[in-house]
Amino acid sequence: MTVVKLFRPRKTSPRLERLRNLSLFVNLTAAELQIVDGLLHERDYLAGEVIFDEGEEGQAIYIVASGEVLICRQEQGDGGQATQLDLNEPAAFHPRRRQGDTGRLAQLGPGTFFGELALLDNSPRSAQARAATACQLIVFFRDDFVGLLDTHARIASKISRELARHLGARMRDMALATGVHQHL
Amino acid sequence: MHDGPPANYSMDESQRGSGPIVWAAIIATTCLLLFFFQKILWLVVPFLLALILYYFLYPSMQALIYRGMSREGAASLVILGFLALLSVIGVGLAPWVTSHIAGWQDTVIGYVQGGLQLLDSSLRTLEANWGPLARAHLADTVAGRLAQGAGSVTDHLEPIAVGIMAWAPSLMLAPFLAFFFLRDGRRFQRFLGGAVPNAFFEKTLYLLYEIDRTSRAYFQGLNKLTVLDTLTLAAGLWLLGIPGPFALGLICAVLAWVPYVGSILGGLLVVLVAATDFPDAPAMAYWAIALFVLVRLLDDFVYMPLTIGKSLALHPLVTVLMIFVGGAVAGIAGLMLVLPVLGVVMVIGETIGVIVTDPRLMARHRHALALRREQASADL
Repeated sequence: MTVVKLFRPRKTSPRLERLRNLSLFVNLTAAELQIVDGLLHERDYLAGEVIFDEGEEGQAIYIVASGEVLICRQEQGDGGQATQLDLNEPAAFHPRRRQGDTGRLAQLGPGTFFGELALLDNSPRSAQARAATACQLIVFFRDDFVGLLDTHARIASKISRELARHLGARMRDMALATGVHQHL
Repeated sequence: MHDGPPANYSMDESQRGSGPIVWAAIIATTCLLLFFFQKILWLVVPFLLALILYYFLYPSMQALIYRGMSREGAASLVILGFLALLSVIGVGLAPWVTSHIAGWQDTVIGYVQGGLQLLDSSLRTLEANWGPLARAHLADTVAGRLAQGAGSVTDHLEPIAVGIMAWAPSLMLAPFLAFFFLRDGRRFQRFLGGAVPNAFFEKTLYLLYEIDRTSRAYFQGLNKLTVLDTLTLAAGLWLLGIPGPFALGLICAVLAWVPYVGSILGGLLVVLVAATDFPDAPAMAYWAIALFVLVRLLDDFVYMPLTIGKSLALHPLVTVLMIFVGGAVAGIAGLMLVLPVLGVVMVIGETIGVIVTDPRLMARHRHALALRREQASADL
């Protein structure tokens, strides 16, 4: 009986419930979530803090647990280099100023994720991510995801499917925005 | 304002190789660590064994977690299973050991005397064929010095037995440590990651993964190397007709974990067995020596680059030089530890070098600090 009890699915904790509500992990079972939970990191960012820069090699996907995150193109200085003026300006000013920028691409809320291409390859980040408000992010590293592919292919395939859906939706949106939608 | 390089950063920058200052720091740190480790060998050896055990048992624990067990339960079950297996093997071997233990001293003495007889007969053959050696009475001189310097075999057996008894308690630490590595390894990694500022977080986590990958590759490489060495030696010894080829091959392969010294000990063991079990056929001992040299060459030039060398991505020249440096700094312990220590220090050193010399990351960190200061003093 004890052995059976050991393998009985555990009660889902609030933390696991919160993970299950994230679109990336929506199809995972409690046991699968438990494994994924062991791989995740939590980070707290203040409004205006840079999460990653455009051009930086991506190592992880970020999931917004609370707060808002701004995705934007970095301002280009001489020679195509990103200017660094923005880091030295008053903190609270950043989000508001950034929201009015022409480089602003999106503002993401709780449950959404960004930097997802980092799970697939090590190509440079295509935009800068910056905390629009104080936020808590869940970080999932590529190496952990690759490890999952080896050890728990079922979990990795469920996550991959959600990722593919997300990318597909984004491509459709882009195609609709640009009017190129023949093959989508 | 910063006049540093652009925000664009890629790990390609870290892969272009470290400069001489970083490498000097890596080598100096490795030497210091080896010197320090030599002083706490009672802890370092069980720690290394625990790491090997951890990488060996980790897949089983993951399988149990996947089937719904908690990490704590899975770690406990895996370690208990391993200890139970050890106990079963111990209980199974106990009758055989107790029936043979009385004869072990005679067996060891017999093998040593067999080796001495081979040496003596080889030297006398040389003397018979080469005048200058005969005039120098080489065989008599060597035999006299061995008898004078080496003393009785029993004199050496006692300190070895006492040494094994003294090491046994600290070796029992290995499964205990492995259990905590299995149970809390991930928590420790998150704890370390949590202490790192946001700006350096991705790079630091990448560093931790690299260390894990390097260690895993090294220890798995070591296991593969042991299997390859055992199989090659066992096949060769079996072809020569030497008794117990697999056991001898395995002992030699494990001894080879200690670079150079271990190989010499392994070779000596094979020669002693050949010389004792075939006293009338000295050619058998020479064939055993030839086989051992062949396996060593295969090991150094084929197996090791394919397994351990590949895992650490070290230049062969650096590998060989560092083995000598390790031996000079910390003796046999240094020979054994130098490659894994160098591998870990190399990854840490190179990544710290990349982080500290990246002005954009440093600027982001200063910016985050300013934001936190501002938040802390907002209502003051």
